[in-house]
Amino acid sequence: MPVLAAADTPAVLRRGGSARVDAKVPARFAAGDRVAVRNLNPFGHTRAPRYVRCKMGTINRDHGVFIFPDTHAHGQGKRPQHVYSVRFTAHDLWGDEATSHDTVYVDLWDEYLAPA
Amino acid sequence: MNGAHDLGGMDGVGPIAYEADEPVFHAEWERRVFAMTVAMGFYGAWNIDSSRHARERTPAAAYLSSSYYEIWLGGLERLLDETGLLPRAEIEARIAALREEAG
Repeated sequence: MPVLAAADTPAVLRRGGSARVDAKVPARFAAGDRVAVRNLNPFGHTRAPRYVRCKMGTINRDHGVFIFPDTHAHGQGKRPQHVYSVRFTAHDLWGDEATSHDTVYVDLWDEYLAPA
Repeated sequence: MNGAHDLGGMDGVGPIAYEADEPVFHAEWERRVFAMTVAMGFYGAWNIDSSRHARERTPAAAYLSSSYYEIWLGGLERLLDETGLLPRAEIEARIAALREEAG
């Protein structure tokens, strides 16, 4: 049984726990690609916030390969895949009344996205 | 899940109260809840994603009226109960006993 002793706690907390996976998984998207966030409404866990669903954005950068929280939260495997920083304009998120110079960057898993 | 935790874009929840030199913990019980959550996470009966999901399964009205570490404690209790490590009935019985002890 793994036990966290008080004396080991500072080192464990400093190290943290990365969800990065050392796996060769092809990236479906590259910086500059236009994408649409899928209309996802799972009953379980997801890291796709409601306010970006069905919205268009642009891949800003590829963070690499990570565990997929939507399956991992339910004991359904790690399903490693790329996570991208996706850039959304305030206009695309909140409509024409929003300021024209603001943008929001959201880290999104490959499966949340479709080519646009 | 489309729960109360997903606040992005929601209006009517008031301004964010900034605190100068905000302490990590506002009360001793928060420090203990954090420690218990980390220690039990290390035990390996669940992972960080299932513990996040346990917190977001807090019923919506309770979620919006709870503090950060109240939600953490609720999530930990939910996982302890669901894994059978510490059934809710035992937690309730312990609370009742402590309450009686305190008079």
